[in-house]
Amino acid sequence: MAKKAKILTVCGSGIVTSSMIANKISEMLEEEGYDVTAMESNPSELETYLLRDKYDLIAYASPIDESCLNGTPALPAIGLLTGRGEDEFKEKALEILANRQ
Amino acid sequence: MQILKKELIVMDVEAGSSEEALRVMANHFVDAGVGKSSYPDAIVEREKNYPTALPATAFDIAVPHTFAEHVNEAAMGVCVLRHPVEFKQMGSPDITLHPQLLFMLAITDPKDQIAILRKIMKLIQNEEALNKIKDAKSSDEIYDLVSELLA
Repeated sequence: MAKKAKILTVCGSGIVTSSMIANKISEMLEEEGYDVTAMESNPSELETYLLRDKYDLIAYASPIDESCLNGTPALPAIGLLTGRGEDEFKEKALEILANRQ
Repeated sequence: MQILKKELIVMDVEAGSSEEALRVMANHFVDAGVGKSSYPDAIVEREKNYPTALPATAFDIAVPHTFAEHVNEAAMGVCVLRHPVEFKQMGSPDITLHPQLLFMLAITDPKDQIAILRKIMKLIQNEEALNKIKDAKSSDEIYDLVSELLA
């Protein structure tokens, strides 16, 4: 059975950039055998999303209020857009997924 | 789906600020009928709150866009500025970048347009393509190059 990963991506409008990032992360993790569910949001919706549901990882392209994360691991994801730091992101994401409770 | 519009490829734009550059481009979107009359203000406002410049591998670029409610039709434009202007970095508003190349987007539904968004993402990571666009001699040259990469 495929390992599951539930990702929440965050960008300014909660549409364009977060969709790009979600797509990139899905590809990245599917290569590693994960079955990925990705949701997109913006910084003002983030708290509501996190109250409503639990995510394995948050990837953000705009500054987020860390006080509402409530323990959810979060990684900056600008590197996925520029192509610089992609490997580092993947490594950290896989580590977070491997170590989740 | 072809979202790149020939009339939205604008070269040699003289702008003294990011707002000026954004308005020049956004007005073209309105003239082309793809942006609503609210599009230019929405683009400028969105850029202030959530900047869109990125330190791409070749040089800094920006990908200005805004909410779908200001958009009539999905479209993409390319703007080559005569000189780089100051933009803030996406995700890090305290960092100032100097893009000379803007990829302005009008997106109606990211779910429908995800294939094209993925190609745009590849394009902004393509150092050779970015250099060719910046150094292009005509908007036709940019149109042909970008169309091919988004096909």
